[in-house]
Amino acid sequence: MHYWPWWLGGIALASVALGHWVALERQMAVSGRFTALVNRWRFGSAEPSESAARKVSQAALVEAMRAATAAEFGKLELDEAAGTPQPPVTISAAPLRKRQTSAVHAIFLTSLVAGGLLSALLAGNVHYSLSLESERFGALFGNEGWPGPAALALGGVLVGFGTRMAAGCTSGHGLCGVSRFQKGSLVATACFFAAGVAVSFALGALG
Amino acid sequence: MRDTVGTAAVGLALGFSLSRIGFSSWDEVHRMFTFESLRMLLAFCAGVVVMALGWYAVKKLSRTSPRWIPRDIHRGTVAGGLLFGAGWALSGACPSIALVQLGEGKLLALFTVAGIFAGNWLYSVVHERFFRWTTQSCIDD
Repeated sequence: MHYWPWWLGGIALASVALGHWVALERQMAVSGRFTALVNRWRFGSAEPSESAARKVSQAALVEAMRAATAAEFGKLELDEAAGTPQPPVTISAAPLRKRQTSAVHAIFLTSLVAGGLLSALLAGNVHYSLSLESERFGALFGNEGWPGPAALALGGVLVGFGTRMAAGCTSGHGLCGVSRFQKGSLVATACFFAAGVAVSFALGALG
Repeated sequence: MRDTVGTAAVGLALGFSLSRIGFSSWDEVHRMFTFESLRMLLAFCAGVVVMALGWYAVKKLSRTSPRWIPRDIHRGTVAGGLLFGAGWALSGACPSIALVQLGEGKLLALFTVAGIFAGNWLYSVVHERFFRWTTQSCIDD
Protein backbone atom coordinates (compact mmCIF):
# COMPACT_ATOMS: atom_id res chain seq x y z
CA MET A 1 0.00 0.00 0.00
CA HIS A 2 1.30 3.41 -0.99
CA TYR A 3 0.34 5.80 1.76
CA TRP A 4 -0.86 9.35 1.25
CA PRO A 5 1.53 12.21 2.10
CA TRP A 6 0.82 13.84 5.46
CA TRP A 7 -0.84 16.97 4.07
CA LEU A 8 -3.29 14.97 1.99
CA GLY A 9 -4.05 12.79 5.01
CA GLY A 10 -4.71 15.89 7.10
CA ILE A 11 -7.05 17.39 4.53
CA ALA A 12 -8.88 14.06 4.20
CA LEU A 13 -9.35 13.66 7.96
CA ALA A 14 -10.59 17.23 8.32
CA SER A 15 -12.93 16.91 5.33
CA VAL A 16 -14.47 13.73 6.70
CA ALA A 17 -14.94 15.11 10.21
CA LEU A 18 -16.31 18.45 8.98
CA GLY A 19 -18.43 16.56 6.44
CA HIS A 20 -19.88 14.56 9.33
CA TRP A 21 -21.04 17.85 10.85
CA VAL A 22 -22.34 19.33 7.60
CA ALA A 23 -24.23 16.19 6.56
CA LEU A 24 -25.51 15.03 9.93
CA GLU A 25 -25.26 18.07 12.23
CA ARG A 26 -23.35 15.95 14.71
CA GLN A 27 -19.77 15.85 15.83
CA MET A 28 -18.04 12.74 14.63
CA ALA A 29 -17.63 10.36 17.57
CA VAL A 30 -16.89 6.74 16.74
CA SER A 31 -16.58 5.37 20.28
CA GLY A 32 -19.92 7.02 21.04
CA ARG A 33 -21.52 4.82 18.41
CA PHE A 34 -20.06 1.75 20.13
CA THR A 35 -21.49 3.10 23.39
CA ALA A 36 -24.93 3.62 21.82
CA LEU A 37 -24.98 0.05 20.52
CA VAL A 38 -23.84 -1.39 23.86
CA ASN A 39 -26.52 0.63 25.65
CA ARG A 40 -29.15 -0.64 23.24
CA TRP A 41 -28.02 -4.21 23.92
CA ARG A 42 -27.97 -3.69 27.70
CA PHE A 43 -31.12 -1.69 28.16
CA GLY A 44 -33.27 -2.81 25.24
CA SER A 45 -34.93 -0.51 22.79
CA ALA A 46 -34.60 3.01 24.11
CA GLU A 47 -35.09 4.20 20.57
CA PRO A 48 -36.14 7.70 19.57
CA SER A 49 -39.90 7.21 20.08
CA GLU A 50 -39.94 8.94 23.42
CA SER A 51 -43.05 11.07 23.14
CA ALA A 52 -45.11 8.85 25.47
CA ALA A 53 -42.42 8.86 28.12
CA ARG A 54 -42.18 12.62 27.81
CA LYS A 55 -45.88 13.12 28.59
CA VAL A 56 -45.62 11.01 31.73
CA SER A 57 -42.49 12.74 32.91
CA GLN A 58 -44.05 16.17 32.38
CA ALA A 59 -46.80 15.54 34.94
CA ALA A 60 -44.33 13.95 37.32
CA LEU A 61 -41.96 16.87 36.89
CA VAL A 62 -44.62 19.46 37.70
CA GLU A 63 -45.55 17.55 40.85
CA ALA A 64 -41.91 17.18 41.89
CA MET A 65 -41.26 20.90 41.38
CA ARG A 66 -44.35 21.76 43.43
CA ALA A 67 -43.14 19.53 46.28
CA ALA A 68 -39.59 20.90 46.09
CA THR A 69 -40.90 24.48 46.15
CA ALA A 70 -42.99 23.72 49.23
CA ALA A 71 -39.99 22.17 50.94
CA GLU A 72 -37.77 25.15 50.15
CA PHE A 73 -40.12 28.10 50.78
CA GLY A 74 -42.91 26.59 52.86
CA LYS A 75 -46.50 25.82 52.00
CA LEU A 76 -47.73 29.36 52.63
CA GLU A 77 -45.86 31.00 49.80
CA LEU A 78 -46.78 28.22 47.46
CA ASP A 79 -50.45 28.81 48.25
CA GLU A 80 -50.05 32.55 47.74
CA ALA A 81 -48.45 31.94 44.40
CA ALA A 82 -51.27 29.58 43.53
CA GLY A 83 -53.72 32.44 44.14
CA THR A 84 -52.28 34.55 41.34
CA PRO A 85 -53.08 33.59 37.77
CA GLN A 86 -50.37 31.35 36.37
CA PRO A 87 -49.37 30.92 32.75
CA PRO A 88 -50.02 27.40 31.51
CA VAL A 89 -47.13 25.08 32.30
CA THR A 90 -45.27 24.09 29.21
CA ILE A 91 -42.11 22.09 29.57
CA SER A 92 -40.06 21.64 26.46
CA ALA A 93 -38.18 18.41 26.94
CA ALA A 94 -37.96 17.75 23.24
CA PRO A 95 -34.44 17.33 21.97
CA LEU A 96 -33.54 19.79 19.26
CA ARG A 97 -32.61 16.93 17.02
CA LYS A 98 -33.66 13.33 16.68
CA ARG A 99 -31.22 10.79 18.00
CA GLN A 100 -29.83 8.35 15.51
CA THR A 101 -31.19 4.82 15.71
CA SER A 102 -29.12 1.75 16.48
CA ALA A 103 -29.51 0.71 12.86
CA VAL A 104 -27.82 3.93 11.73
CA HIS A 105 -25.00 3.45 14.24
CA ALA A 106 -24.53 -0.08 12.88
CA ILE A 107 -24.53 1.29 9.32
CA PHE A 108 -21.73 3.70 10.23
CA LEU A 109 -19.59 0.93 11.73
CA THR A 110 -20.30 -1.34 8.74
CA SER A 111 -19.38 1.39 6.30
CA LEU A 112 -15.99 1.72 8.03
CA VAL A 113 -15.43 -1.94 7.13
CA ALA A 114 -16.55 -1.15 3.58
CA GLY A 115 -14.12 1.79 3.46
CA GLY A 116 -11.23 -0.50 4.37
CA LEU A 117 -12.38 -3.02 1.75
CA LEU A 118 -12.66 -0.32 -0.93
CA SER A 119 -9.16 0.89 -0.14
CA ALA A 120 -7.74 -2.64 -0.42
CA LEU A 121 -9.72 -3.30 -3.63
CA LEU A 122 -8.46 -0.15 -5.36
CA ALA A 123 -4.92 -0.95 -4.25
CA GLY A 124 -5.40 -4.42 -5.74
CA ASN A 125 -4.38 -6.36 -2.66
CA VAL A 126 -7.47 -7.96 -1.19
CA HIS A 127 -6.65 -11.16 0.58
CA TYR A 128 -8.20 -12.44 3.74
CA SER A 129 -5.98 -13.91 6.39
CA LEU A 130 -6.23 -14.58 10.09
CA SER A 131 -3.44 -12.11 10.84
CA LEU A 132 -2.75 -8.38 11.06
CA GLU A 133 -0.23 -8.55 8.20
CA SER A 134 2.24 -6.83 10.49
CA GLU A 135 5.94 -7.67 10.75
CA ARG A 136 6.44 -6.16 14.18
CA PHE A 137 3.26 -7.53 15.71
CA GLY A 138 4.21 -10.97 14.36
CA ALA A 139 7.72 -10.68 15.76
CA LEU A 140 6.37 -9.73 19.19
CA PHE A 141 3.48 -12.16 19.56
CA GLY A 142 4.11 -14.81 16.90
CA ASN A 143 1.95 -15.56 13.88
CA GLU A 144 0.31 -18.65 15.31
CA GLY A 145 -1.40 -19.67 18.52
CA TRP A 146 -3.05 -17.51 21.11
CA PRO A 147 -0.55 -14.78 22.11
CA GLY A 148 -1.54 -12.58 19.15
CA PRO A 149 -5.33 -12.86 19.57
CA ALA A 150 -4.93 -12.46 23.35
CA ALA A 151 -2.90 -9.26 22.89
CA LEU A 152 -5.52 -7.87 20.49
CA ALA A 153 -8.42 -8.82 22.76
CA LEU A 154 -6.71 -7.25 25.79
CA GLY A 155 -5.84 -4.15 23.77
CA GLY A 156 -9.42 -3.99 22.51
CA VAL A 157 -10.82 -4.20 26.03
CA LEU A 158 -8.51 -1.36 27.12
CA VAL A 159 -9.64 0.69 24.11
CA GLY A 160 -13.33 0.06 24.78
CA PHE A 161 -13.03 0.65 28.53
CA GLY A 162 -10.80 3.71 28.21
CA THR A 163 -12.75 5.46 25.46
CA ARG A 164 -16.03 5.08 27.35
CA MET A 165 -14.38 6.23 30.57
CA ALA A 166 -12.84 9.29 28.88
CA ALA A 167 -16.08 9.76 26.91
CA GLY A 168 -14.33 9.93 23.58
CA CYS A 169 -11.66 8.57 21.30
CA THR A 170 -9.45 9.80 18.48
CA SER A 171 -12.37 11.17 16.49
CA GLY A 172 -14.49 12.78 19.20
CA HIS A 173 -11.69 14.05 21.45
CA GLY A 174 -8.65 13.99 19.16
CA LEU A 175 -10.06 15.58 16.03
CA CYS A 176 -13.36 17.27 16.87
CA GLY A 177 -12.61 18.21 20.48
CA VAL A 178 -9.05 19.48 20.09
CA SER A 179 -9.93 21.53 17.03
CA ARG A 180 -12.63 23.26 19.14
CA PHE A 181 -10.08 23.80 21.96
CA GLN A 182 -12.16 21.82 24.46
CA LYS A 183 -10.32 21.34 27.77
CA GLY A 184 -11.44 17.75 28.31
CA SER A 185 -10.39 16.80 24.79
CA LEU A 186 -6.97 18.42 25.11
CA VAL A 187 -6.31 16.53 28.36
CA ALA A 188 -7.69 13.21 27.06
CA THR A 189 -5.70 13.47 23.82
CA ALA A 190 -2.48 14.29 25.69
CA CYS A 191 -3.12 11.29 27.96
CA PHE A 192 -3.88 8.73 25.29
CA PHE A 193 -0.98 9.88 23.18
CA ALA A 194 1.44 9.77 26.13
CA ALA A 195 0.29 6.26 27.09
CA GLY A 196 0.58 5.16 23.46
CA VAL A 197 4.16 6.41 23.30
CA ALA A 198 5.09 4.76 26.61
CA VAL A 199 3.59 1.37 25.73
CA SER A 200 5.02 1.44 22.20
CA PHE A 201 8.53 2.07 23.49
CA ALA A 202 8.04 -0.72 26.05
CA LEU A 203 6.88 -3.11 23.30
CA GLY A 204 9.80 -2.01 21.14
CA ALA A 205 12.21 -2.87 23.95
CA LEU A 206 10.66 -6.36 24.17
CA GLY A 207 10.81 -7.06 20.44
CA MET B 1 -33.11 8.85 4.63
CA ARG B 2 -30.64 11.70 4.53
CA ASP B 3 -29.43 10.52 7.91
CA THR B 4 -28.85 6.97 6.72
CA VAL B 5 -27.19 7.80 3.40
CA GLY B 6 -25.10 10.59 4.93
CA THR B 7 -23.93 8.34 7.74
CA ALA B 8 -22.94 5.58 5.32
CA ALA B 9 -21.10 8.03 3.06
CA VAL B 10 -19.13 9.58 5.92
CA GLY B 11 -18.28 6.15 7.34
CA LEU B 12 -17.06 4.96 3.95
CA ALA B 13 -14.91 8.06 3.46
CA LEU B 14 -13.46 7.78 6.96
CA GLY B 15 -12.63 4.09 6.54
CA PHE B 16 -11.00 4.70 3.16
CA SER B 17 -8.97 7.69 4.40
CA LEU B 18 -7.73 5.95 7.55
CA SER B 19 -6.61 3.02 5.42
CA ARG B 20 -4.75 5.26 2.94
CA ILE B 21 -3.08 7.32 5.68
CA GLY B 22 -1.77 4.13 7.25
CA PHE B 23 -3.64 4.10 10.57
CA SER B 24 -4.85 0.55 9.92
CA SER B 25 -1.28 -0.80 9.94
CA TRP B 26 0.03 -1.96 13.32
CA ASP B 27 3.57 -1.23 12.13
CA GLU B 28 2.74 2.32 11.05
CA VAL B 29 1.02 3.04 14.37
CA HIS B 30 4.09 1.72 16.18
CA ARG B 31 6.34 3.96 14.06
CA MET B 32 4.09 6.92 14.91
CA PHE B 33 4.21 6.33 18.66
CA THR B 34 7.98 5.78 18.66
CA PHE B 35 8.54 8.84 16.41
CA GLU B 36 10.30 6.75 13.75
CA SER B 37 7.86 8.21 11.24
CA LEU B 38 6.20 11.59 11.67
CA ARG B 39 3.89 11.21 8.68
CA MET B 40 0.74 10.14 10.50
CA LEU B 41 1.42 12.48 13.40
CA LEU B 42 1.69 15.36 10.95
CA ALA B 43 -1.47 14.20 9.16
CA PHE B 44 -3.35 14.24 12.45
CA CYS B 45 -2.04 17.70 13.39
CA ALA B 46 -2.78 19.05 9.92
CA GLY B 47 -6.29 17.63 10.25
CA VAL B 48 -6.80 19.46 13.54
CA VAL B 49 -5.56 22.76 12.07
CA VAL B 50 -7.77 22.48 8.98
CA MET B 51 -10.71 21.60 11.20
CA ALA B 52 -10.15 24.59 13.48
CA LEU B 53 -10.35 26.78 10.38
CA GLY B 54 -13.39 24.81 9.23
CA TRP B 55 -15.27 25.38 12.51
CA TYR B 56 -14.51 29.07 12.19
CA ALA B 57 -16.04 29.05 8.70
CA VAL B 58 -19.06 27.06 9.92
CA LYS B 59 -19.65 29.62 12.69
CA LYS B 60 -19.40 32.50 10.22
CA LEU B 61 -21.69 30.89 7.67
CA SER B 62 -24.45 29.53 9.90
CA ARG B 63 -27.21 31.93 10.93
CA THR B 64 -27.82 30.30 14.30
CA SER B 65 -24.88 29.41 16.50
CA PRO B 66 -24.08 25.70 16.12
CA ARG B 67 -25.17 23.53 19.05
CA TRP B 68 -21.91 21.84 20.03
CA ILE B 69 -21.47 19.65 23.04
CA PRO B 70 -18.80 20.96 25.37
CA ARG B 71 -16.11 18.48 26.33
CA ASP B 72 -15.02 19.31 29.83
CA ILE B 73 -12.56 17.57 32.11
CA HIS B 74 -14.21 15.03 34.41
CA ARG B 75 -12.89 12.34 36.72
CA GLY B 76 -12.63 9.77 33.94
CA THR B 77 -10.72 11.94 31.48
CA VAL B 78 -7.13 11.20 32.54
CA ALA B 79 -7.52 7.54 33.54
CA GLY B 80 -9.70 6.76 30.53
CA GLY B 81 -7.27 8.48 28.17
CA LEU B 82 -4.30 6.58 29.58
CA LEU B 83 -6.07 3.21 29.32
CA PHE B 84 -7.19 3.95 25.77
CA GLY B 85 -3.66 4.95 24.75
CA ALA B 86 -2.20 1.75 26.20
CA GLY B 87 -4.82 -0.30 24.36
CA TRP B 88 -4.20 1.56 21.10
CA ALA B 89 -0.45 0.87 21.25
CA LEU B 90 -1.03 -2.81 22.09
CA SER B 91 -3.76 -3.57 19.55
CA GLY B 92 -2.71 -0.98 16.98
CA ALA B 93 -6.31 0.17 16.77
CA CYS B 94 -8.53 2.96 17.92
CA PRO B 95 -12.26 2.11 17.68
CA SER B 96 -12.72 2.86 13.98
CA ILE B 97 -9.40 1.29 12.96
CA ALA B 98 -10.29 -2.22 14.09
CA LEU B 99 -13.23 -2.17 11.67
CA VAL B 100 -11.13 -0.77 8.82
CA GLN B 101 -8.63 -3.59 9.38
CA LEU B 102 -11.43 -6.12 9.04
CA GLY B 103 -12.41 -4.61 5.70
CA GLU B 104 -8.83 -4.83 4.49
CA GLY B 105 -8.88 -8.56 5.18
CA LYS B 106 -6.93 -8.51 8.46
CA LEU B 107 -9.37 -10.84 10.12
CA LEU B 108 -7.41 -11.14 13.37
CA ALA B 109 -8.89 -7.71 14.15
CA LEU B 110 -12.09 -9.57 15.03
CA PHE B 111 -10.51 -10.06 18.44
CA THR B 112 -9.93 -6.31 18.74
CA VAL B 113 -13.52 -5.51 17.77
CA ALA B 114 -14.85 -8.05 20.27
CA GLY B 115 -12.54 -6.56 22.90
CA ILE B 116 -13.77 -3.01 22.24
CA PHE B 117 -17.41 -4.02 22.67
CA ALA B 118 -16.53 -6.01 25.80
CA GLY B 119 -14.50 -3.14 27.28
CA ASN B 120 -17.23 -0.61 26.54
CA TRP B 121 -19.79 -2.89 28.22
CA LEU B 122 -17.45 -3.54 31.16
CA TYR B 123 -16.96 0.17 31.80
CA SER B 124 -20.69 0.83 31.77
CA VAL B 125 -21.15 -1.86 34.46
CA VAL B 126 -18.18 -0.69 36.54
CA HIS B 127 -19.34 2.91 36.24
CA GLU B 128 -22.80 2.13 37.58
CA ARG B 129 -21.49 0.02 40.46
CA PHE B 130 -18.58 2.16 41.63
CA PHE B 131 -18.09 5.52 39.93
CA ARG B 132 -21.35 7.19 39.05
CA TRP B 133 -19.79 10.48 38.07
CA THR B 134 -20.94 12.45 35.06
CA THR B 135 -18.88 11.79 31.97
CA GLN B 136 -21.23 13.46 29.49
CA SER B 137 -22.12 11.40 26.51
CA CYS B 138 -19.47 10.85 23.91
CA ILE B 139 -22.04 10.84 21.18
CA ASP B 140 -23.46 14.17 20.13
CA ASP B 141 -27.19 13.58 20.31
